[in-house]
Amino acid sequence: MEILKVRELSKIYNEKIPYTALSNIDLSINKGEFVGIMGPSGSGKTTLLNLVSTIDQPTSGEVILEGQNPHQLQPDQLALFRRRELGFVFQSFNLLSTLTVKENILLPLTLDGTSIAEMHTRVEQVAGKLGIGDILGKRTFEISGGQAQRTAIARALIHKPKLVLADEPTGNLDSKAARDVMELLTVLNKEEQATMMLVTHDAMAASYCDRVVFIKDGQFHNEITCGDNREVFYQKIINVLSLLGGYRHDFSTVRV
Amino acid sequence: MTFQQFAFNNVIRNKRIYLAHFLSSSFSVMVFFVYALLLFHPNLQGELASTSDTMSHLATMGMNISQYLIFIFSFFFCLYSVSAFLKTRKREFGILMVHGLSHKQLHRLVFTENMMIGGAAITAGIVTGLVFAKLVLLMSAKVLYIDKGLPFYFPVHAIWITIAAFTALFLVVSFFTSRLVKVGNLVDLLKSEEKPKPEPKASVWLSLLAVVFILAGYCTVFYFVIWRVFSLLLLTTGVMLVVVGTYFLFTQLSVYVIHSLRKKESVFLKRTNMVTISELAYRMKDNATMFFMISIISAVAFTGIGTCIAIADPGLEEMENPYAFTYVSNLPNKLEKEHVDLIKEELTASGFSYKLGTAAPLYTGSGVSVIHLTDYNSLALALGRPTESLSSDNEAILLPSNVTEKTSYERGQYPNEEMITEHNVEKAIKIQKAVPYIMLPEYGKTIVITDAKYKILMGEAAANEEAQTKRYLFAVPGWQKSKEVSNQLAQTIGNDYNNGSYYFSALVLNWISSKQENGILFIVSTLVGVVFFTFAASFLYFRLYTDLERDRQQYQMISKLGLTNKELHQIISRQLWLMFFLPIVMALIHSSVAFTALQQLVDYSVLEGSIIIFVSFVSIQIVYFIVIRWRYLQHLRQNAV
Repeated sequence: MEILKVRELSKIYNEKIPYTALSNIDLSINKGEFVGIMGPSGSGKTTLLNLVSTIDQPTSGEVILEGQNPHQLQPDQLALFRRRELGFVFQSFNLLSTLTVKENILLPLTLDGTSIAEMHTRVEQVAGKLGIGDILGKRTFEISGGQAQRTAIARALIHKPKLVLADEPTGNLDSKAARDVMELLTVLNKEEQATMMLVTHDAMAASYCDRVVFIKDGQFHNEITCGDNREVFYQKIINVLSLLGGYRHDFSTVRV
Repeated sequence: MTFQQFAFNNVIRNKRIYLAHFLSSSFSVMVFFVYALLLFHPNLQGELASTSDTMSHLATMGMNISQYLIFIFSFFFCLYSVSAFLKTRKREFGILMVHGLSHKQLHRLVFTENMMIGGAAITAGIVTGLVFAKLVLLMSAKVLYIDKGLPFYFPVHAIWITIAAFTALFLVVSFFTSRLVKVGNLVDLLKSEEKPKPEPKASVWLSLLAVVFILAGYCTVFYFVIWRVFSLLLLTTGVMLVVVGTYFLFTQLSVYVIHSLRKKESVFLKRTNMVTISELAYRMKDNATMFFMISIISAVAFTGIGTCIAIADPGLEEMENPYAFTYVSNLPNKLEKEHVDLIKEELTASGFSYKLGTAAPLYTGSGVSVIHLTDYNSLALALGRPTESLSSDNEAILLPSNVTEKTSYERGQYPNEEMITEHNVEKAIKIQKAVPYIMLPEYGKTIVITDAKYKILMGEAAANEEAQTKRYLFAVPGWQKSKEVSNQLAQTIGNDYNNGSYYFSALVLNWISSKQENGILFIVSTLVGVVFFTFAASFLYFRLYTDLERDRQQYQMISKLGLTNKELHQIISRQLWLMFFLPIVMALIHSSVAFTALQQLVDYSVLEGSIIIFVSFVSIQIVYFIVIRWRYLQHLRQNAV
């Protein structure tokens, strides 16, 4: 079943020199699918994610999430839409430093006025799965990067959103923590049937996806699907990346 | 790039962070300077001029106490501003130290920066202070119709004092801040932006102490006014007790309330409450300090302006003389009937209702004057007081002649008997009672005796060829508006200076002239009030300004997750409400106590005056709140999704 449909999406930034960040992108994601978006720096990955996540408005084209076009909503309804239907994981975690880990995870539920009993059961569940049950009482500056990202993932999943959007979730983590986070996301994707869209730079992270879509200069380039073997898939990704970027060593540079 | 250049560029290219610190520092310099300018004003040396001695005494004391307060608070304000400023910069220090900045260099950097900002702030503060003072002096004299207002002068003394005080202050602050940056742990420095300041320690004992201090302070102030022990030390102690008590109250109370709210899940986890309460908790220490400072400063502003309104109150004149018009006739006076009729006619013609009482006081020769009971009762009727009766010729009623006597009679402190001269022999006469209100103003000690006894004494006085005086006393409601008719009467009747056979005076004219005398006092207290209130308002402003960037990031983050405009509005409004009105409520309580105390000193009601002040301040605050909230929300929305 198709959950997200992106049709002829374009974004032009009207500055002194108009700049086309994205042109005529088509994309569809099925329920329970784990899709990666890859491309070199400046290719429009993050723009695409921002358009899908309704943080930015498209110049033309449309985004349909379960039959609904969120860009046609009023600003307040849009906020409610993001809160209820989407889950976010950011590169820089975006946790609130005034709250504890548990409170951060609860935030979407609290804002929506869920009952307290329900909140507790859900926190227990999700924290248990993510292995952060013992740091729930800590403050954000007392935990490691990996723990912070797992907290952010818990926050993105606690309200059972239709679509989880992850923007370079491994960008600020070391390789061990990055692998842990990706494995967790895969597990959650399978167990919770959570649909995920991941924007990344990192071939290792992308190799956990079911399918990877490549874009270059704001246009669709190609897409490859994971077969049975993740190692082969990783190799394929690296091949496409070197084709895109020219150098094989390019793929892991830090995105600016 | 030399090290000096680096420090200089650091300030110049990092304007936004430094600007808040610079503005708040120059503001406190300005407040201090304007105050010093008033304090050293050549026209304000010695006791402040006022028609009432009690009031000038109090006003002089008030000026001294606010001088201490203003210095202490400028100091706090600077420290507060520096600590807020350093918090945003700790990370930067961390980065610099990672790159090999030595401790010595760091201290030098902080010191150079602070002194640079300090120097600029002192200059800016003094210059704006001069302009501000000139403007306010000019305006106040115009608005209040005060002919002999405060002239502007070039305050060399005030400038030196300000420069000296603040150079010392900035030196101390720079020294402290370079110590404040604990360089032991680099990780802490790098992570410091996220870490909240340590919470104030809360204990039951300190909370109790807070209440005890405030109550003790209140008691001291009441002791001061009720027993009229006018000592500066006592008043200062009272004020200091209240100040310290308030500090503990806010630091303790905030910790308790926020902790209990955080623990109570049904409240804490309810929609936007979580964000609001955790924001409050994060800034617990800053908020507690700020609430404390604002409440004390506003309380000072309220009380200062309240006292000066009380001084200008018509009640102060009325307190000493309850009659709108006094006509004194020294017999024989051919014009007496003509003049009294004229007053009656003019009053009726200009639409004033009046009640006339007469009194013919007779001096007995032993320091006491007497009037007879019929006269007394006519006065009592005119003023709407109960009439009296005397049971025998050897009894009398004592009348107070001034406010001090009146208050002691009120407390039942009066002599049991008075001496009068009868047949050239001093004889004691028993005082049946003393009335606790002024019935016969501008006259010496007076007692009321029976008509029969008066006749006997009168016969003797006539034999002595003692001139007889008769007073016509007009009680007129709404006399404050009788300026025109009074001027007219004063012109037509005039005063017979040659023979001294009659004398006319109108309360309203005395009131207006005393207003002129009180004018300087009025300007000074208004100015002090305005300065203090602006001080409090700017506290709020700088507090929001320094944290704006962090708040913007914070709300941008939440809005990405989905926060409606209405919810953002609600969170911000609640925080701002608390910030704007909690300290004001505390200030209202403090100043109500001060007004109640003031009420003990004067006879008329200060209620109306105090309500006017409260209402006007609260409305100014509401307007300020609405404007700031609007601006603040605009800023937050700038980058929001």
